[in-house]
Amino acid sequence: MSLETNFAVPGEPALAIDARGIWKAFERTQALSGASFALRAGEIHALVGANGAGKSTFSRIVSGHLSADRGEIFMFGRPTRFGSAREAIQGGVTMVMQETSLAPDLSVLENIYLPELGAAGRLSWRNLTSRAESLLDQFGQRAHLPLRRPVRELSAGQLQMVEILKALALDAKVIIFDEPTASFSPNEVDRLFDIMRLLAQGGKALVFVSHRLEEIFEITDRITVFREGRTVASAAPAAEMRPAELVRLMVGREIADIYARGVDGRGEKSTGKPVIEVEHLACAPRVKDVSFTVNSGEILGLAGLIGAGRSECVEALFGLRRIERGTVRLSGSPFTARAPIEAVRAGIGFIPEDRRRQGLVQDFTVRENLLLAHLGQRRSLGLGYDERSASVARLLEELGLPQRILDEGILTLSGGMQQKVVLARWILMSPKLLILDEPTRGVDIATRSTIYAMIRRLARQGMAVLLVSSDFEEVIGLSDRIVVMSDGSDVTSIPSALVDVEKLAMFAAPRSSAEATRSILEMLVQRFGGIAYWISMDGDRLYCFDSVAVQNAPEIGFARGSFPEIVDVSIPRALRQRPDRFLLEPAGATLLVPLRGHRGHDLGYVGLTLANDNALPDAAAVRASILDGPTTPATSVAARRH
Amino acid sequence: MASEIKTGPQLRPSVLRRLLRGAQLELRMLLLLLLLAVALSLISPYFFTLSNILNLMDQSVITGIVAIGQTFVILIAGIDLSVGSLTGATGIILGLSLAELPLPIAILAAIVAGGLAGFVNGFIITKGRVAAFIVTLGMMSVGRSMAYVLSGANSISQLPDSLGDLASSTILGVPTNFAVLVVLYGVAWYYLTFTKGGRTIYAIGSNAEAARTAGLRVDFYSVLVYVISGALSAVAAVFLAARILSIDPIAATGLELDTIAAVVIGGASLFGGRGTIIGTFIGVVIMVLIRNGLNLLNVNPYWQGTAIGSIIVAAVLLERFLSAREGMHRGQGEEG
Repeated sequence: MSLETNFAVPGEPALAIDARGIWKAFERTQALSGASFALRAGEIHALVGANGAGKSTFSRIVSGHLSADRGEIFMFGRPTRFGSAREAIQGGVTMVMQETSLAPDLSVLENIYLPELGAAGRLSWRNLTSRAESLLDQFGQRAHLPLRRPVRELSAGQLQMVEILKALALDAKVIIFDEPTASFSPNEVDRLFDIMRLLAQGGKALVFVSHRLEEIFEITDRITVFREGRTVASAAPAAEMRPAELVRLMVGREIADIYARGVDGRGEKSTGKPVIEVEHLACAPRVKDVSFTVNSGEILGLAGLIGAGRSECVEALFGLRRIERGTVRLSGSPFTARAPIEAVRAGIGFIPEDRRRQGLVQDFTVRENLLLAHLGQRRSLGLGYDERSASVARLLEELGLPQRILDEGILTLSGGMQQKVVLARWILMSPKLLILDEPTRGVDIATRSTIYAMIRRLARQGMAVLLVSSDFEEVIGLSDRIVVMSDGSDVTSIPSALVDVEKLAMFAAPRSSAEATRSILEMLVQRFGGIAYWISMDGDRLYCFDSVAVQNAPEIGFARGSFPEIVDVSIPRALRQRPDRFLLEPAGATLLVPLRGHRGHDLGYVGLTLANDNALPDAAAVRASILDGPTTPATSVAARRH
Repeated sequence: MASEIKTGPQLRPSVLRRLLRGAQLELRMLLLLLLLAVALSLISPYFFTLSNILNLMDQSVITGIVAIGQTFVILIAGIDLSVGSLTGATGIILGLSLAELPLPIAILAAIVAGGLAGFVNGFIITKGRVAAFIVTLGMMSVGRSMAYVLSGANSISQLPDSLGDLASSTILGVPTNFAVLVVLYGVAWYYLTFTKGGRTIYAIGSNAEAARTAGLRVDFYSVLVYVISGALSAVAAVFLAARILSIDPIAATGLELDTIAAVVIGGASLFGGRGTIIGTFIGVVIMVLIRNGLNLLNVNPYWQGTAIGSIIVAAVLLERFLSAREGMHRGQGEEG
């Protein structure tokens, strides 16, 4: 250790990372102009900024992937300059990337210890396994991550977990999470946040790079904001910052509620005739039985978690997958697209989920990317670009894109601008139905509000819009109506005014994560008969997320997926009073038991209604059997004791 | 980065500058070509004689025609190893047909046969999802074998003089075969630059998935490029037979490698999406110049393979180097 080690102020621990005046240019573009950043050990620090603010560049400099043109970085008080990502890892800095850098054919275990595989000598698999298991135990993840499984078979959340473990195996002191939740389901986000908290408690310094404001406020201790390569807010305590303030810092101006609906508010809009009617659609392996209708002028949200089959469902409508069963009617007549071109010619536009893989032709200019769908549907030999030049110019104007970018390569644009180009490509075709699959993933907040405004205006002009999104706030904010999908089937169709993020998440819960409640319900009807259900109540309305009934169970007026007003169901008294014993009504005898999640949040009620002619079981016994839960070990739902 | 692009009145970048930027690679290769020509004319007094120039033109024709098809295939990130043996096989078909049929019909028969073989290649690659390398390697073997079977392993000679006119006649002082070559390059250039099909081919090579999602007919054009390549192999066979009025089942062996080399030297990426027909033309001429130069310099023929091989690898290295630099430049647009 050199003398420099201890020049920090006595009594105050040296900062884990102290970066000052970092400059970085790429050819003509100045990415960072004197940015600074101070990270303490044991904290979770948000690094926030709009697209192009330089946060990715900065993360890559700190983690050794790039080198700065100018500036100093101190790590625990010592000047540091990593020549490569490898050096940074050895120095204790790791970046967990959005797109993982794992070897897909190797097992989880091999990936975690990949850096050690290069070491000389024989590997002790037993030793590695026990080390990995103790790491997993430390974070309570042993049940979620099978060490022997090849990485290619893992979910997005599990991949990220492997990346994190890989960092921990190398004894990382600073871990940078670069938009880790972009492809996560809410459950996975929860799990990641639990792990991040444990890491911070263990003294690690964490950087959380994200666009999602609600996540930033949930998980981080302090916030640093970058704008145009400069630090505009440095290490501000998260508890003292308001979301509106943060947005203003990010974009440099006030942005009204990005979901603002303008004059014609939600619900007042009249929607037109059905544009697409989907009935009992199935296409292996994910989509099992989906039905919904989108009317002209309507924005229908297709909500659900990753793996629920939403993307597969819309890809089938667009001819990218084969439909196995079910019928689709477009403007009233039967329709099946065997290839996208048939869907395009029939008047469907499709903005795919993965912009880089399915959206952009990387070698083309902005103009050719913009006119790609035009080219595809064209029947004559020539290009016909000129016919479209007036509408192209108008569209660029509307989307706030400068005309002169037309002849630039598409990859010179930021992610948000690229997405605008893909959107414009389809608007140009004036489709009857526009399908948007995760239209704002990785898009900054300013661009998002432009995109939302555009989508809303298209719907006002009579276009039918089908929106697929994992971002429940976005679905609720943008859609008129929401169809929730879970495990390949539609669970409910609900006006977005009647639902909030929590209820949507419960409707969308896949069997795997709702297994606990599902098996409680099954156990209840098996043991006591009648109908068992998982519900939540909000004011005068009831939401039923799941229900299980025996034959000739009492008729209670709701079932899985329904959301009636309490006055309209057959057991209103029990639902209002929720006593801790069976309450008798004409329809049956009802007992409700409240549920809590493992982090203490409200998960609604499990209810059991039995026919009145049955001998009633002891309420305490029923509650006890719910408390003890089903036999599945993965139970994370426990009933609240009174 | 987004912050760099600002709205507002802007001067249009000059058309010339844009053209130059788009054609940078071709310009570099053209420069290389001119340097080669100057060097050769300094070294050998014979180089700039009419007979050698005519000789150069003649030698460009076969490789040049087949390289057009190879460019189409490489633009969609494919490869066609069967062109050499298809030239041999369709040459034999031409020779056999000429015994029975008038010249235009015989030529048509050869071209249809070449196109059919290309269709088989393209269909299996596209619909069967087998690697182009494997399928065309198989067709390469089948084609050569068919050439032997159909010809009984003998060369076919004494072809009609009307065929020979294609090689010996001139149009406006330019040898007919070279004129045809130039016209074919003109058509191919126009097709790739100004038509739906051409742009679709580029889009497929750059990102087939995105092209399909935008409603482009990816499968159709993926098969079409192999049909074009097969058919052009037959066109090359016609000019090959016309040159010596004889065709041998072993003809055009190794042509696939020369054409791939020409395309790659011309700046196309074997990963598809990048490359131009003009670049390919320059690549063909460079290949011919190098061979010609090595002959003029009396380089031992055994050494010529080493020289040509080294040049091909050097050209690809250059391409990698340049696209890596470009890749860094592109990296700016990616934001996380």
